[in-house]
Amino acid sequence: MSISELLTEYGDKYVQALFTTWQLTAVSFLLALLIGIVITVMRISPVLPLRMAADFYVQIFRNIPGAALLILLVYALPYLNVVLSYYMCVLIATTLIPSAFCSEYLIAGMNTIGPGQIEAARSLGMTFLQIIRNVILPQAVRSSVLPMTNLLVATMLTTALASQVPLNPRDLTGIVSYINTHAVGGVTAFVISAALYAGTAVLIGQLGSLLDRKVRILR
Amino acid sequence: MMREENKRGSRTTSIIDVLYEAPGPKARRKIRAATIVSMAVLLCLLVLIILQFYKNGQLDPRYWSIFLRKTTWTFLGEGLLGTVKAALGASLVSFGIAMLLMLWRISSRKILRGISVTLIEFTRGIPTLLFIYFFFLLAPQFGLKLPAYWKITLPVAISACGVVAEVLRSGVQSVPRGQWEAAMSLGMRWGSMFFKVIFPQAFRYVIPALISEIVIVLKDTTFAYVVNYADMMQNARVLISNYDALLSVHLVVAVIYILINYVLNKISVAAADGRNGKGKR
Repeated sequence: MSISELLTEYGDKYVQALFTTWQLTAVSFLLALLIGIVITVMRISPVLPLRMAADFYVQIFRNIPGAALLILLVYALPYLNVVLSYYMCVLIATTLIPSAFCSEYLIAGMNTIGPGQIEAARSLGMTFLQIIRNVILPQAVRSSVLPMTNLLVATMLTTALASQVPLNPRDLTGIVSYINTHAVGGVTAFVISAALYAGTAVLIGQLGSLLDRKVRILR
Repeated sequence: MMREENKRGSRTTSIIDVLYEAPGPKARRKIRAATIVSMAVLLCLLVLIILQFYKNGQLDPRYWSIFLRKTTWTFLGEGLLGTVKAALGASLVSFGIAMLLMLWRISSRKILRGISVTLIEFTRGIPTLLFIYFFFLLAPQFGLKLPAYWKITLPVAISACGVVAEVLRSGVQSVPRGQWEAAMSLGMRWGSMFFKVIFPQAFRYVIPALISEIVIVLKDTTFAYVVNYADMMQNARVLISNYDALLSVHLVVAVIYILINYVLNKISVAAADGRNGKGKR
């Protein structure tokens, strides 16, 4: 099938698929950011059970393959009388995995701040919350722009899991297998999806490095 | 999929160690209260989960007794072997392609650099599943008959090679300029200069990152069920249809995957610590 044929027949489906992938990526990323921050606060808190639980959480979701997690959510949870829609299953999987990595990046970002700065802040009489707000957070946020853009791209790649369940509208990966089972889409069907994925990734990367150049702390 | 980075667990003091002062009596009391409360909440959560298992009959011995049989483990072990084979094959192929991409990326020819950058960006921004569908749905249309092993190994390798190429390049860049100059002043050709002097040092530098990459490759091989390759996930499905024990088998398999990746990540961190420790001395 030629590009023009493919686009007239499936053009609107591709647009839908692109927006499905974008939307899934955006929602997962924001939720992952939120959970990642909470988990990170737990991991650096002085309360041992919270620390251990958060570390456990990170190890689980950092190391579980996406397919294994999705299968547990879709097929195993109903056996525990928890039935979620396919969309919810995908969203949970594409949120939990990036959230663990988000926490890892935040911890790594905090570790770039020299311990001497905390000691200096403390000797100025700053309270713990003041130190977090005025010393740690501004630096940690500014140095985590690049890891977070990488996380956003990684989240987008994870959303390809959506093609493993019947979703309507389909995502960018799902549409390719849909077209190829209904017609012989050939290479073109792949190339369009691949270009849309790679284009989005490059766009995210460019915006990220632009932002990073603006806010980075030169050391 | 995800890129690992680990700076925690290294021997140097990190900011997390100095975040708090030694707590006074008041703070200690607060921490103790918070510890007890959080412990209670976590225990409640655990009990609730176990209760949910119990209420739905998932603690029934017939679901779990299959793990006492040797045949179950032999079968899962065979699957694991398939997983390891696919992961190793994909890692090696990926390393080979990445090596080529990296050499093009650092070459003085503009065209080669351009091709390499394009390919690296392309493979980095495309999900593994799309590559798998490419080999699964498209290769047959061209009359290309690949065995299941290569249908999973090639796409996983291709989707990893962009990142591996960048990792290798970061290693090459970490080798001091003086090493190139010293080799050049000895009259070495580019080939022997690169492969005998520069690359061995670069490779040692990137070992931790390469191990992290193996974790990603191993995770990606779980999509083997798409192409009907007998990896651990696929064998788990066979077990499930034989014993009608979906939840327990999938749970155990997920735990096995998590443990393997956990150990690999630990090895990666240990390798990075060894490297940094050596650098400091």
